[in-house]
Amino acid sequence: MPRVQREASVTWEGNVARGSGSISAASGAFESLPYSLATRIDRPDGKTSPEELLAAAHAACYAMSLANELASSGKEPEHLDVRATVTLDEVEGGSHRIVASELLARARVNELDGPALQRAAEAASEGCTLSALVAASAQVNVQATLEGGTNGD
Amino acid sequence: MATDRKAEVTWHSDLMSGSGRIDSVTSGAFGGLDVSWPARTEEPGGKTSPEELIAAAHASCFSMAFSHGLAQEGHAPEELKTSATVTFQPGEGITKIALEVVGRVPGMDEGTFKQAAEGAKESCPVSKALASVPEITLSARLEG
Repeated sequence: MPRVQREASVTWEGNVARGSGSISAASGAFESLPYSLATRIDRPDGKTSPEELLAAAHAACYAMSLANELASSGKEPEHLDVRATVTLDEVEGGSHRIVASELLARARVNELDGPALQRAAEAASEGCTLSALVAASAQVNVQATLEGGTNGD
Repeated sequence: MATDRKAEVTWHSDLMSGSGRIDSVTSGAFGGLDVSWPARTEEPGGKTSPEELIAAAHASCFSMAFSHGLAQEGHAPEELKTSATVTFQPGEGITKIALEVVGRVPGMDEGTFKQAAEGAKESCPVSKALASVPEITLSARLEG
């Protein structure tokens, strides 16, 4: 399969404390999303942030990977809910680091048991390109449960 | 103080013929964005993808760190225009991110500008989180 390129652009004005920026996607899927330091590290007030965009990327990447894992073992999912939470924390020296991305998946899949879901959920994280990258420097945790009663554990 | 940002995605059916949607994010800044494997790996057709969102995360993080670095040199930027291009090789993963920035910074010389850009590329949190991408390139240019 040929390689794929995706682009986004940002305009930033002013210094970091009082300045602000605007984020657009080349696909046109989103445009001129405002962001700032205050809304990145404090209350979002309706503004996105690099970490939120990374969370969206991770949830979407992982959902595709889990769908692929399940379908290739003959258990096509009816429905997957994936939530990714990215944590930015202050580390020694006052700088900020992305310390974790937590994945929570709920799956509705016919005739699938908990242990099989756990295996697919782990394999899906290994198969998701973003999980593999983030796991090199931060904690990536995956928790998966079956919808409709049976717990994934 | 730790800050959490969350995103929620639903997916239906298998990878190749199924489809998903980024339903909501913590801030509410966007939602209802459709994603699919064909749109991710062929023509986007107006749909975003994990790689495009990573490009947006990296470009926005870099710009903020760069404005901080420039201000520390005594020259807050009037304007920085940054793009990030993420290269995805299906079956292999993300192989490259190319950052390009053009800045309008009164009183700044080219050498200091480039040096501060390199610093931001190394230090911004998204760069650190994606440090294992095989190739991250940077092109920085002063306008005017």
